[in-house]
Amino acid sequence: MTFFVIITLNFFIPRLMPGDPFIFLSSSEGQITTTYSEEQIAKYKAYYGLDKPMVVQYTSYITNLLKGNIGYSIYYNNSVINIIGKRMLWTVSIVLAAILVSCLIGTVLGSLSAWYRDGVFDKVLYSFIIAISEIPAFIIGIVFLFILAAKLGLFPLSGGMKTFANYSCFADHITDILHHAFLPVLTLSIARLGEFYLLSRNSMVSVLTKDYMRTARAKGLRNRRIIFRHALKNAMLPIVTRIFLSLGSVFGGAILVENVFNYPGVGHLMREAVMVRDYVLIQGIFLFVAVTVLTMNLLADIIYRRLDPRVS
Amino acid sequence: MKYVKHVMISIKRFNAMGKIGVAVVLMVLFLGIFSGWLSFHPYSIPSGGSLEAPGAVHWLGTDDLGIDLWAQICFGARISIIVGFGTAFLAGIGGSIIGIFSGYSGGLTDKIIMRITDMVIVLPDLPMMIVLGAFFGPSVRNIIIVLALFSWTVPARIVRSKVLSVKQENYVTAAISYGAGFWHLTLRHFLPNILPLVMVSVIRLTSRAIVAEAGLAFLGLGDPTSKSWGLILNHAINFRGIYFTDYWKWWVVSPITAIMLLVTAIAFISRDTERIINSKA
Repeated sequence: MTFFVIITLNFFIPRLMPGDPFIFLSSSEGQITTTYSEEQIAKYKAYYGLDKPMVVQYTSYITNLLKGNIGYSIYYNNSVINIIGKRMLWTVSIVLAAILVSCLIGTVLGSLSAWYRDGVFDKVLYSFIIAISEIPAFIIGIVFLFILAAKLGLFPLSGGMKTFANYSCFADHITDILHHAFLPVLTLSIARLGEFYLLSRNSMVSVLTKDYMRTARAKGLRNRRIIFRHALKNAMLPIVTRIFLSLGSVFGGAILVENVFNYPGVGHLMREAVMVRDYVLIQGIFLFVAVTVLTMNLLADIIYRRLDPRVS
Repeated sequence: MKYVKHVMISIKRFNAMGKIGVAVVLMVLFLGIFSGWLSFHPYSIPSGGSLEAPGAVHWLGTDDLGIDLWAQICFGARISIIVGFGTAFLAGIGGSIIGIFSGYSGGLTDKIIMRITDMVIVLPDLPMMIVLGAFFGPSVRNIIIVLALFSWTVPARIVRSKVLSVKQENYVTAAISYGAGFWHLTLRHFLPNILPLVMVSVIRLTSRAIVAEAGLAFLGLGDPTSKSWGLILNHAINFRGIYFTDYWKWWVVSPITAIMLLVTAIAFISRDTERIINSKA
């Protein structure tokens, strides 16, 4: 259903745009406007299929989509799907890495915080994480870029790997890529950390008051076992679903962060596409991101049902 | 007037963090409103040498074109405030109306409205904003409209569930039995109940909108004619050699500080408001 809405939106946005592409095409620099003759315009309209009624255009658009044909980028001289495919891996890998890192660290910190609730450790950590989680990701990225990369020279300033590099072995190649990916992933992880921390803390706090926790303690189990085996297992449910639900906003954050670090992913591509006014490509990227996010949301729904038998 | 008094009372109940937050936001408001008087230099044309360090004449230094940065920050505050409050206001009012209507009518209308809300919530907002910005031209007005179109769902959902629960109260049933209509119920019974909740979500939306605008402007996709904080950052980052010179110390640091201050201040206020409302309930 939502897929349908997005596709429809994607279809109508350029057609609702003020102005006519042929007026744009037929006017040149300065005041001298060379106009196409009526028959030329009619020919072009027929060529692009713009003379047909909306319904016909719409159905042909959908059939093209189903065939996997989302258009051809004039600027890059390649089909949109190929261009996105080349850039996709970069983005997907930093997004996944960031979610993994922030989820792991956030959950551990959140559980510890809940365990020592209202102690000094909890209070300090809580206010600290609240403070950083409000700062937008791209600002964190810029700060890292200036301090860690530019001043201290610990990390490369931009890019996804060294240009013109000759790698002696495969391991060098991997290290280089990881080295470049470190700051973007760190930035995105910090931006996401608060969400997972707060969620796991809340979830743990409510689990810790349950009767089976008292039983576990009465059995004389060690603290570590209680936290990670008994409590966390039950507190994991909302965290798992949040992983999938947060993908949408991580993608949004990745678009900005990639541009901070000039990381060669889809987000950087999107900005390039806007700068060179490659509308077909912009739409293709939007479609790609939207479809990915929606699929993840759908997955979240399914997984939640699997994990929690109480939800029918 | 009654509501203004309520707001004053709740500000008095803020703790230290909340009060600091209010103070910072008021300061930024002041900067934004009186930016013309507070900065002695124009914000769009050069007024000194390029890349001057902060000093007596140019408090925060100048950028590569010699434009005073303090003036740019002041006018940027205006943009941030307009976008933040404009979006929150539009989305808060629109969302509340939709929420009240949905909760009040129930049945099929409610179901359809909730389906639409679910759909809007999952749409990735930043890519959508970029697409709309690319096609319809980036202007502050368009940014506000697009942000509001993506934000109304939050207050709408909260308001709806509150209205649903208020509808079950005996005094509402009594009012209905006396023949109270939609408007009477809304004004007399729903609004006082939902107002604090709407307040919290509106505060949240404000900071979200400010961050979104700064992000878009940073990408260079914001309104190119408005000197917003994100746009200053965009210029600074795209300046060749910014990483290897000392210019970033004033050129990059000042907009970043401004954004972080405002956003954290709003976060403090929102946490405190939430705390007060929760303790009341």
